[in-house]
Amino acid sequence: MTSLRYVLERLLHALPVLLGVTIFVFFAIQLVPGDPIRIMMHGRISDQEVQAIYERLGMNRPLLIQYVDFLRKAATGDLGTSIIQNAPVTTLILEKFWPSIWLLASGAVISVLLALPLASISAFYRNRWADHLIRVAGMVGFAMPPFWIGLLLILGFGLWLGWFPIAGYGQDTAGHLHHMFLPGLTIALFLAPILVQSLRTSMLDVLAADYIEVARAKGLSEWRILLKHVLRNAAIPAITVLAVNIGWLVSGAVIVEYVFSLPGMGSLLVRSVGFRDYPVIQGLSLVFAVIVIVVNLLADLSYMLVDRRVLKA
Amino acid sequence: MRSSEKLLCSATTIVAILALAVLSSGGIAEAAGIKRGGTLTVARPDDPLTLDPFIPSDNGSIYAIAQVCEPLVLGDDTGKGLEPGLADSWEASADGLSYTFKLRDGVKFSNGKPVTVDDAVFSLKKVADPAASYGFAFDPVKSIDKVDDSHLRITLKTPYVTLLSAVSLFSSSVVSMADYTKDPAAFGKSPVCTGPFKVESYERGSQVVLVPNQYYWRNGEDGKPLPYLDKVILKYVPESNSRVLGLRNGDFDAIVAVPLSQAASIKQVDGMSLEVAPGYRLDYVYLNHAKKPIDDKRIRLAMNYAANRDAIMKSVYFGVGQIANSFMPQVNYWSDKVEPIPYDLDKAKALIKEAGYDGTPIKLMVDTGNAPFKQIATILQDGWTQAGLKVEIVEFDTGTSFDMTQKGNYQAYVSYITSDINDDDELATLEGDYHGSTEAFFSRYKNDQVVDLLAQARQTSDKAKRADLYGKIQDIVYHDAYSVPLNFLPYVNAYQNKVKNWHNITVGWWWLRQVWLDQ
Repeated sequence: MTSLRYVLERLLHALPVLLGVTIFVFFAIQLVPGDPIRIMMHGRISDQEVQAIYERLGMNRPLLIQYVDFLRKAATGDLGTSIIQNAPVTTLILEKFWPSIWLLASGAVISVLLALPLASISAFYRNRWADHLIRVAGMVGFAMPPFWIGLLLILGFGLWLGWFPIAGYGQDTAGHLHHMFLPGLTIALFLAPILVQSLRTSMLDVLAADYIEVARAKGLSEWRILLKHVLRNAAIPAITVLAVNIGWLVSGAVIVEYVFSLPGMGSLLVRSVGFRDYPVIQGLSLVFAVIVIVVNLLADLSYMLVDRRVLKA
Repeated sequence: MRSSEKLLCSATTIVAILALAVLSSGGIAEAAGIKRGGTLTVARPDDPLTLDPFIPSDNGSIYAIAQVCEPLVLGDDTGKGLEPGLADSWEASADGLSYTFKLRDGVKFSNGKPVTVDDAVFSLKKVADPAASYGFAFDPVKSIDKVDDSHLRITLKTPYVTLLSAVSLFSSSVVSMADYTKDPAAFGKSPVCTGPFKVESYERGSQVVLVPNQYYWRNGEDGKPLPYLDKVILKYVPESNSRVLGLRNGDFDAIVAVPLSQAASIKQVDGMSLEVAPGYRLDYVYLNHAKKPIDDKRIRLAMNYAANRDAIMKSVYFGVGQIANSFMPQVNYWSDKVEPIPYDLDKAKALIKEAGYDGTPIKLMVDTGNAPFKQIATILQDGWTQAGLKVEIVEFDTGTSFDMTQKGNYQAYVSYITSDINDDDELATLEGDYHGSTEAFFSRYKNDQVVDLLAQARQTSDKAKRADLYGKIQDIVYHDAYSVPLNFLPYVNAYQNKVKNWHNITVGWWWLRQVWLDQ
């Protein structure tokens, strides 16, 4: 029951955050110059026509009323209609939702798969050549812009080796896995070094703890201590780092989306901002906020799995 | 020209163009050698926002719609001329105030239902609505009426020789009224029209898949109905390097908008062709004549003399294009007789001195993230500063800079203009006539002589006279230093050599109905 209460409490905390995000985005985008109708028509439209269109869309009403209307409809799952594309915002976002989630998931999974062994090796052989090699390689990966890494991967694995498709999202689950490997790896080459760094540091802290000495005194092997006692206790900071970065990548993976021609939410946001397509920007911000909250909740829950003491705190 | 003459003339043009097309594509031997079938995958930097012909003004939408929907009049093989589309003939009244179109017999929509005059009238009324994207092209239209079951008439307020070009816009496409009115949003995903293709699937942000419309009315060179291809995939690949890599990889058969820096290297690759096709685009610096010091013609001229266009052509455009001698793109009446303003710093310095320049700085605006335009701005800043002007480069995102341009809160802005209509009137009037809603396309340029010449050109159907009038307009506006024109930028595409009959037409798209694969 404690776990359920914990989850409910976290969800309740999320409500004001969501409300805050919608209020901020709704009013902030109105302050930015430019309007969708004129951008769409390249300015070749009279003021009266623009006003008539706004009247039809209900966009000439006071902002507060428009906002309340947006919230009321959003509560029923209706995020309005795109001004530029004349299609329901919910449909537009849903079309981009799964490619984005696939991209994030493949990026996160490959990052973790790379980071766990590398961080363990780095911590185990601290200050020896393997540790130095991993840290330098990590720094290089982190320092390279994702745009460039993406193109290098396309060149290597797509053009020369021909192992992976270089554009698009694929048709079925196997296709998605195949298509998402290179984009996921691009994200991982940037994300894994951060994870390795944070895991290595906390593993070294744990290795210095008294109970590790006890474990050693019991005659457990170093590798067993590392995997069973150290990794588990060092995971919490790394999970936090992962969650924060995934939250950022929801909208921030736009460069990776561009390079691999993925129909994701990041590119939809960039385009909608360019066109000042207010309903889509509002809808996306809401969805991003929900994803960030859910990811953080999952992170909190995983702390619980790793360390039951979290519940008591 | 009388209407009968016009028909004869357009018939002769069609025959001539067809003959040319056959000759240039290798003659009868190739006509017989045309292979049917196969899938053409095209990678392009744009994604359709909608496939509803009455909404969009973005190229991603327009070029896809042009494969699926057709208007009464069509652009020809080059895009510069006109030929009969869903109307097989038309007639203008003697006073030029009404046009009667005869609908082609037996044309069906992609769902097999026959096209009626009611569908055509409905569609034309949609596009002519002032609130529609291309409503401005139908400003002089008084009414659109059904005459009988095979004729419709467009009545004008004033003579308007551009009407046929306006009717050839993608936006004037004839749609199935029943399907459109039932659910416009659904129509925008899968339009019911009469073009060579119909939409099999449209995944926004990813691709549009087209398959042949089995009811298409036009036959190919082999005597069977077009199109030749079994399938077309228009893929959205926004990153230009990814497009080039995909072409080399064999993932794409053709790519649109090759980065100019890579054009030369693609030419060297075996099995690939580079296409540089003329288009209706001009890259130029917008000038706001209402702002100091740009309100002084001598300062504007000095900015032109101090613009090192050769350097820009070499380092930004890699030699692709043609240095512009006009305030508007090379549409059909462009004149090569207008003397270009040379790069002459001394002349610029003298003009600035004569104008008594008081040191008011010029803010040169660029869209954030547009690297080539930023480079252009830097080269211009260098020349203008050397000539004695104070110049500062400012960057805003496209939406903001457009808003500032439109509200007149700018001095100079590196940007471009394109024409969707194959007639000079649209852009010449838009840019040259300050009475319009954009105030001479945000320049606040005022010249009553130009307004007068524009009105004459709009009402003259004699081609030689029109050419003469537009030549004069080009000369006056260009030498009034309306703007700082830079480059007539062509379309640059690349394709595998197995792709045959691929041509980028002047208004921007490709007639995929005639493309075939030699495989």
